[in-house]
Amino acid sequence: MSATLAAAADPAARLGDPILEVDQLTMRFGGLLAVDAVSFAARRGEITALIGPNGAGKTTVFNCITGFYRPTGGALRLHRADGAAVELQRLKDHRIARAGVARTFQNIRLFPGMTALENLLVAQHGPLMAATGFGIGALLGLSGYAAAERAAIGRAAAWLRATGLIDRADDPAGALPYGAQRRLEIARAMCTGPALLCLDEPAAGLNPRESEELARLLRGIRDGSAVPGAGATSVLLIEHDMGIVMRISDHVVVLDHGKKIAEGPPAQVREDRHVIAAYLGEPEEEQA
Amino acid sequence: MSGDVAAFAMAQRPRLAAAALKDAGITALVALALFAPLVGLRTDVAPNGALFLRPRWAEVAILVLLAFALRLGLVYWQAMRGPPRLPSAARAAVAARAGRLFAPVLLGLAVLLPFIPGTGRYELDLGILVLTYVMLGWGLNIVVGLAGLLDLGYVAFYAVGAYSYALLAQHFGFSFWVCLPLAGIMAAFWGVLLGFPVLRLRGDYLAIVTLAFGEIIRVVLLNWVSLTGGPNGMTGIPRPSFFGLPFSMSGGEGTFAGFFGIEPDPIHRVVFLYYLILILALLTNWVTVRIRRQPLGRAWEAMREDEIACRALGINIVATKLTAFALGAMFGGFAGAFFATRQGFISPESFTFIESAIILAIVVLGGLGSQIGVAVAAIVMIGGFELFRDLEEWRMLVFGAAMVVIMVLRPRGLVGSRTPTVALGQRRVIAAEHVAEGRG
Repeated sequence: MSATLAAAADPAARLGDPILEVDQLTMRFGGLLAVDAVSFAARRGEITALIGPNGAGKTTVFNCITGFYRPTGGALRLHRADGAAVELQRLKDHRIARAGVARTFQNIRLFPGMTALENLLVAQHGPLMAATGFGIGALLGLSGYAAAERAAIGRAAAWLRATGLIDRADDPAGALPYGAQRRLEIARAMCTGPALLCLDEPAAGLNPRESEELARLLRGIRDGSAVPGAGATSVLLIEHDMGIVMRISDHVVVLDHGKKIAEGPPAQVREDRHVIAAYLGEPEEEQA
Repeated sequence: MSGDVAAFAMAQRPRLAAAALKDAGITALVALALFAPLVGLRTDVAPNGALFLRPRWAEVAILVLLAFALRLGLVYWQAMRGPPRLPSAARAAVAARAGRLFAPVLLGLAVLLPFIPGTGRYELDLGILVLTYVMLGWGLNIVVGLAGLLDLGYVAFYAVGAYSYALLAQHFGFSFWVCLPLAGIMAAFWGVLLGFPVLRLRGDYLAIVTLAFGEIIRVVLLNWVSLTGGPNGMTGIPRPSFFGLPFSMSGGEGTFAGFFGIEPDPIHRVVFLYYLILILALLTNWVTVRIRRQPLGRAWEAMREDEIACRALGINIVATKLTAFALGAMFGGFAGAFFATRQGFISPESFTFIESAIILAIVVLGGLGSQIGVAVAAIVMIGGFELFRDLEEWRMLVFGAAMVVIMVLRPRGLVGSRTPTVALGQRRVIAAEHVAEGRG
């Protein structure tokens, strides 16, 4: 979070510069080419949506970005606030998370037996672990661990408030309703203090009111207004709900059969011939 | 509400009777098939030395009728009781309050045991045995209960600790207090060594490899005769001294009894050993309880809940798994060193798979991740096993039945719920159905 704040002051990282560059990304599973030389960029301070029909390779791109798959070819560059570029395809998954890429999952992956608050504290593992002095200082009650934990709980509480979950802080995550679990997963990802937040179908299974709340939350995360003191965070999302995609995203990338078929602002993508063909079938070919 | 249930039960009665009779009949048939060969036919020795078959059909009939009647009663009782009630929040709160009182009372009893009138050599020895298993249970609880890594070879670390102490004390003449940390470090080292190859394994596969690891350690100890004495074991392991004062019957100047000016008594050493294992066990508990409230402990539990989510949050799974293995192994090593100094003799026979199984059973019966549950389970398992000594060959049967009953009544162990490590408001226990069991 402090890194993003620094970014605002640093002329090297201006809003609108690319934060994530996907360059000729290719992913092959045996004989299946799931992602074929896809290139696009997610820009700082924007919400970038990755859309496409089922099986287009969206989640595969996501899993490459977040390190769950190692790409067969291509490069993924994360531009840090200080101007340095990190080659994500060379890092292990937990290092990618530490480099500033947080993600949520299509099928929610919370820690169901831990409370909402504990879920958010696990997300702050890195800085808290550093404060314990390799576990020994805190074990003996030394070091500044208590202060670090208080700060972590404060940050967790701020995100619980932002997602409307503060009253359920001490309930097990597994007992929360579905919509609340979705929001908690986003809050947990934000507690890692990411530069780029990757959301895999965050609106899946939400009712219209809940998706409206989600849209507001995502705009708040992008602008840095969701939580007081938090910096602006760029967002990359996969979404099937076209309503929410068109309403909140600044930039849309369309995939079909592992290839990028269109890219641009939502209004432009909606009118694109290839996109309509991909979603509604191929009328031209049928007529021919 | 209960009236409705009773009326419903009345209306269902004829159908219930038929179902219950059918159920009990099947039970009786199974009992017949089991008891006919087991009880019905007995080989006896005739006066002339020849074997002959003595049928005991009356006994079989009694057993089958007993099974029939018990099953019938059980089915009726279940029907009368209505659907099983879920534990309400209020009941859970009462249980939690009782649980908070229970632990200090248990601890007080443990501390005062040597001074309670009627406590003799036998009771203290049993107390030492139980506390050894409490400590082993708590150690394994780190690996299985918190980190969710199923370890069937925990006894290997117990063996490493015991042999480390025996070898260091015999070859280098180190005292117990020097050897204790060294034994723990050795065991932790072997824990990490086991941890590396099994990092990518989960569930059943992990269990099999850890089982094999336990056997490898035992077989090496058995066959490396020049170092460990092989099946003959190691004798003459130095007995513990009271910080340099030996427990000697001579009562001389440099002995425990002589130094404190009291009558030499063999019970002194037993009491000392009792407090030693009590302190070691409490140390295990203290470290576990404190680490649980810290990032490392939360990472263990998060890993048990969902490993993939952990990786997405930047948690290093390798380090997290290895610390769990190392710390669990270290406490196993401490317990092993204690075992060696208490017995004065160790052999590979003390470290067979059944020991691992008993320790794991203690953790599972107690409830994965629950400190007090594990302590109670160790008392029930080890103490109960001693209590039933009069039953002779029926002991195993009673013991097995008791385990089955516990698991039927409390499928997630005696304490299946989980206490949150941190709370904004009031800390409420988390019901077992939300808590993951860990898959590797």
